Amino acid sequence: MVQARSKLTYLLILIVGSLTLCPVVMLVLGSFSKGLTAFGSFTLDKYVQAYTDPEFFNAIANTIVFVLGSSTLATGLALFLAYLNNRTDIPFKFLFQIISIIPMMIPHLLFSVSWALLLNPSNGIMNLVLQQAFSLDSAPFNIYSMAGMILVEGLLDLPVAYLIIAPAMGSFDVSLEESSRVFGAGPWLTLRRVTLPVLRPAILAAFILGVVRSLASFSVPSVLGMPGRVYVLATYLYEMIAKGFAPDYGKAAAVGMSVLAASVILIIVYRALTSESEKYVTISSRGFRPAVVELKGARIPLFLVVGLLSMVLIVLPVAVLLYTSLVPYSMVPSARAFSLMSWKHHWTEVLEDPISVLSLRNSLILGVAGATLGVLLSVFVAYIIVKVRSTASGVLESLSYLSFSFPGIVIGIGFMWFFVQTPVYATLWALLIGYVATYMPYGIRPLSSAFVQIHSHLEESSRVCGASPLTTMRRILLPLLVPGIVSAWILMATMFVRELTLSVVLSRPGTEVLAVQILRFAEDGLWGKLSALGIMMILVSTGLVVVATLVGARFRFVEAAG
Amino acid sequence: MKKTLIACIVLLAAAHARAADQTLLDKARAEGKVAFYANITAVEPIMKAFTEDTGVKAEYTRISTARFVATAVTEFEAGKFMADVVQAPLPILELLKEKGILAPYRSPAAAGYPQWTKKDDYIQLFGIEYIALIYNKELVKKADVPKRYEDLTHPRWRDKIVMPNPANHATTIGWLIGLKEHVFKSEAEWMKFLKGLAANRPMFVASLGPTPAPIESGEKLIGISMPKYIVTKAPAPLDWARVAQPMLGTPRAIAVTSKPPHPNAARLFVDYWLSQKAMGILAKDVGEYVLAPGVFPPIDGIDKAKVIAIRELSDEETNKWGSEFKKIFNVR
Repeated sequence: MVQARSKLTYLLILIVGSLTLCPVVMLVLGSFSKGLTAFGSFTLDKYVQAYTDPEFFNAIANTIVFVLGSSTLATGLALFLAYLNNRTDIPFKFLFQIISIIPMMIPHLLFSVSWALLLNPSNGIMNLVLQQAFSLDSAPFNIYSMAGMILVEGLLDLPVAYLIIAPAMGSFDVSLEESSRVFGAGPWLTLRRVTLPVLRPAILAAFILGVVRSLASFSVPSVLGMPGRVYVLATYLYEMIAKGFAPDYGKAAAVGMSVLAASVILIIVYRALTSESEKYVTISSRGFRPAVVELKGARIPLFLVVGLLSMVLIVLPVAVLLYTSLVPYSMVPSARAFSLMSWKHHWTEVLEDPISVLSLRNSLILGVAGATLGVLLSVFVAYIIVKVRSTASGVLESLSYLSFSFPGIVIGIGFMWFFVQTPVYATLWALLIGYVATYMPYGIRPLSSAFVQIHSHLEESSRVCGASPLTTMRRILLPLLVPGIVSAWILMATMFVRELTLSVVLSRPGTEVLAVQILRFAEDGLWGKLSALGIMMILVSTGLVVVATLVGARFRFVEAAG
Repeated sequence: MKKTLIACIVLLAAAHARAADQTLLDKARAEGKVAFYANITAVEPIMKAFTEDTGVKAEYTRISTARFVATAVTEFEAGKFMADVVQAPLPILELLKEKGILAPYRSPAAAGYPQWTKKDDYIQLFGIEYIALIYNKELVKKADVPKRYEDLTHPRWRDKIVMPNPANHATTIGWLIGLKEHVFKSEAEWMKFLKGLAANRPMFVASLGPTPAPIESGEKLIGISMPKYIVTKAPAPLDWARVAQPMLGTPRAIAVTSKPPHPNAARLFVDYWLSQKAMGILAKDVGEYVLAPGVFPPIDGIDKAKVIAIRELSDEETNKWGSEFKKIFNVR
């Protein structure tokens, strides 16, 4: 058993390493290279220039506030929503589950723009409504600020956090809470002393993933930070590579190395904090059953709170997108604007545009194929990370984060430097491999959270009864992992459908994808078409989420019946 | 007799040119397609027209200014450069020429273009990425529309302006330098303008693309933007301020590559691109300012405007001025 695990670990290190190390090695070479490409004579100049700039440290200070703020918000909201959706009898659960992950499906650029339309200090729709309602002299909110950036980034990272915390919450053994109650602890004390500590790996995973994600985020800092003159690392890097006509990506890669180092440290911290994984095992015997907490009198008020939260935070920005896709140009809502609304302005044009249609098809293929491949790989990697806590498994975990940890602006170039040396350059395969390699943590994290809660006694019992490792995986582990698998698949599929960072560098004629087409519309200032295509993207992703959820539910049912 | 001889020579030359055209067309058709790398927006109508008129498929790869050089050089060095023709702001093509990525080609279609557009044997200029003051004509009173660039420093525009970030947007940096060299009488006057503009706290966006949306929605009233949006964003209530001074912009250039996978299709495409028909599409459908004689975008008054191509700025100069503007505009 130990030998088999060890072999599997090394095989996975080889696979994951070749996927993630190649672009990173190219970036390292680029950061030490004199030229504009990854190969050139050796120099330390890029590091010296990058790390002696005093503005770099200002950007770092802002980045720390932005990253911690948005990750805390995302994790807190995800915990709240996941608890209500998984553990209580709050009505319309399925709807809330979809709403919690909607921001995942919206291109970050569009989500940021829609919030600017809602809360800009000049004529933001929500600001105008509040000004009129309370007779205010000036706009009460300014989205072009650090607080605005934290709010929007927090919401964008919410689905990731939710999809990591929700499966753990769903597999929670309620007998632990019942025991706590039996010993006289109230609901609050039980939550604080039993529920939250047991969920610690999932909460930490969600928080750390949020930190890494917001470190690499570009859309929010660019759309909301730049107008407010609040600069973080991503916009600092953008400035570095956008100035002049021959930008030095090697210098950006040199700065990216510090982000990579920060991410690796975070992973080490995370592993240290969850080192005693046995503490968090809650599914260990036949007594396991998820149970529902009755909210009683709080049911309707809490439903209203979640409903209002969902409405203000998620439904409203999506409604803004729908509105923008129907009016001929960017207009503040008015009787005239509503009279001018038509599908013909942008929807018809987008649907008649062959590149938009091709990009819809390519994104759908990449979403389904990429997520399936990614989840398959992630199941094995998560298993090793959780169940084999050796140095080798630590190496595997760090490798899985490598390309994900780099700022998006930089990693795309690393992949280009790498793929251009291979025959897959300029094909859909390059995009598929790049996606899986970069976004592996989206698959691994929810699956790790799910694995953490499955006691190895279950596997051992299966083996004692004569089952092979594969049979054990199929009959014992996979059914218990279904919520994690569904979460991972949804995370990866929706991420791939809207992936921009790699696509914009690797996409060539015939391999256009949705986000690249959306970016083209953004560069041309065509917000109506952008919104129409964005909504199509949300519909595609929603379709994938619904199918995955239904398949997951059916699979669980069949296994349970079997 | 002399006249007859000249007529014969002209006719022979025309017949020879037609034969040469036909030969090029046949060879291009045999190659099947042409790959075009460009940073210009909304050129699909020209790609479509080229394919329909010649039977040669045109493939368009759009690469942003920031990624253009890195992508082209990386692909070229790896032997995977797929472009037959490249189009970009002039400084980018100059950089590609230095790297040996461009080939000399003098297109016969450029014969009627002004002499200054024939940069050298490699690069042909065909347009200017022209920048102007664009305003919301429903929200700005006629009397308030700027008549000179200096009017943008009036306090009435405080918190009402949008523009690309002058600390890093290369085209905007070039435009501000162009104002110094072509519009303002002295550096002191120019500096006064910059400081006045900065005092009005303009909202910065990443590039020119996002500038029109806040103006059309009324979030901002005026912006340093491009008149072409009056065409591409119609019926948005946009108009341009007809200032007394010249309009400025970065020259747009085109060239064939040194190792094109489809060399004949490449030349055919450049000839087509520079033709009155293609330039007409670019002007009419995309609102671009082109240098083909007598072709103008359908924007009221543009045909009378004086549009000047800004001189090439080196990356060192762009970086230096970007840092200066960062201080003046208090970007950080």
